Amino acid sequence: MKKKVNNTICRCEEISEQEIRDAIRKFNLRTVDAVKRLTRAGMGLCQGRTCTPLLTKIIAEETDKKVDELLPLSKRPPVRPVKVEFLAREGEQKLD
Amino acid sequence: MIKRADVVVVGGGVIGCSVAYYLAKKGVRVIVVEKKEGLSLGASGANQGGCPLQLFKSPVLELARESLKLYKNLAEEIECDIEYENVGSLVCSVDEKQYPDMKKHFQDKRREGINVRLIEGHQLRKLEPTLGEDIIVGVEEWDSYMVNPFKVNYGFAYAARKLGTEFLFSSQVKKIERDKERIASVITDREKIKTNFLVNAAGAWASEIGKMLGLTIPVRARRGQIMVTEPVPLNKRWRYILDADYLTTAFDLAAVEDSKEARIKLGVAGSYIQEKSGNWTIGSSRDFAGYNNRVTMQTLKYMAKRAIKFVPKLKDISCIRTFAGLRPFCYGDGLPILSKIKSPQNFVIATGHAGEGMTLAPITGKLIAELITESGTSLSIDAFSFSRFKNIN
Ligand SMILES: Cc1cc2nc3c(=O)[nH]c(=O)nc-3n(C[C@H](O)[C@H](O)[C@H](O)COP(=O)(O)OP(=O)(O)OC[C@H]3O[C@@H](n4cnc5c(N)ncnc54)[C@H](O)[C@@H]3O)c2cc1C
Ligand code: FES
Repeated sequence: MKKKVNNTICRCEEISEQEIRDAIRKFNLRTVDAVKRLTRAGMGLCQGRTCTPLLTKIIAEETDKKVDELLPLSKRPPVRPVKVEFLAREGEQKLD
Repeated sequence: MIKRADVVVVGGGVIGCSVAYYLAKKGVRVIVVEKKEGLSLGASGANQGGCPLQLFKSPVLELARESLKLYKNLAEEIECDIEYENVGSLVCSVDEKQYPDMKKHFQDKRREGINVRLIEGHQLRKLEPTLGEDIIVGVEEWDSYMVNPFKVNYGFAYAARKLGTEFLFSSQVKKIERDKERIASVITDREKIKTNFLVNAAGAWASEIGKMLGLTIPVRARRGQIMVTEPVPLNKRWRYILDADYLTTAFDLAAVEDSKEARIKLGVAGSYIQEKSGNWTIGSSRDFAGYNNRVTMQTLKYMAKRAIKFVPKLKDISCIRTFAGLRPFCYGDGLPILSKIKSPQNFVIATGHAGEGMTLAPITGKLIAELITESGTSLSIDAFSFSRFKNIN
């Protein structure tokens, strides 16, 4: 089957495979983190839970790195979305 | 391995990349050395991308004005959509006691030729119903912008690379070799680079580079924390809202340190920006915690509480991410250091931009390139000279 380049990779942010490949090539991106920052893929509501594996695969293809050489997305609290009001009240509790 | 460059720039943040770009444009052979595995992993990748003209005071105001001019055509020039957007800014207060300060801020800005307008609380809420009941007064202005920080950082690097600049990653400057009054080469953990000039754009780490030359560069890491929310529909009028406390906490170190209030001690003063995507970034705080760049729940709590006062609807919106960054803060006087020094003569410092480096990146790159290649700079940088710290060196 021929690969469709206009696949949506990140559903939360609606980022296509083409946009991701273009950014990697233009800016010489080597890490998942960099791709995420430049394209917003992985920055959505699910914080990359859905799209990271696909993203990693594309970067591996583009950079000749192995999938497991690529660092996982840096995890930044909260692990799950929480209302700002919750942070205002309970901020001192741990989030994860 | 031995490499050669006209100029070595330490730091792949927005300042280092801007310096590299403006130098490369003049035909200079530049090597940028960055200790991390990519660009924008210091303060430049952990900020809000706001360029709020009304927050700048002379002599930095002159830099900010010129920088905003350079930003106007930058996207085209570097062939990268940096999402430069005219969003204006609104500084407002929820404290009756601050009313005279707001009035003074308004008059000061007027005098500086900034087109500000003082608006009473009830009128503000009419114009922007999302603003909180506690807000008593605000000062709006429409020459403020926002940019996408990553794109500015990577965009400068992209354009510099096209002009021949080389980037070395995972490469940390460890030692600097001198030949009498000059720097001869830079030693990293991977290579030796012979160079005619060294630019210190190492941000919050700039003092470490200074130490390698026996110099005290009075810059410390001032941590700032940010929360990012899910996207929501765009505000009608103001998408860049600032707490009047910002005017003191960001610029007046003594006011922060002498305060009895826990929130002020942590430097919490709001800067609320809604990106075009609809996400809000809620910032920020200011404390000194060494090189620790993690968020703390206590600070986030104060930030969230305060944010809800200004924009109450934020309370029902979800926070999806938090992060912190380290501002390069000059504890001497809070001003940037853009300067050559007496010895070594070929050492240039470009740091101390504190909470304003995103705004000041283009003009910094341009002026530093002029400082290195020409006999003078197009804008006076005397106020940012390293010689002002005579007593500590
Ligand atoms: C929370 C927060 C919010 C902010 N909001 C705004 C805003 O809205 N508007 C605005 O204008 N500014 C803002 N700022 C300020 C702005 O982010 C900084 O002023 C700016 O990013 C500084 O850029 P820099 O390149 O000097 O530093 P950095 O981006 O920190 O870059 C320095 C680089 O040097 C590298 N380095 C250090 N030592 C070495 C070594 N020995 N060898 C090799 N590499 C080395 C580091 O790894 C780093 O990548 C904010 C900052 C923070 C923290
Ligand atoms: S699918 Fe990419 S962030 Fe959710």
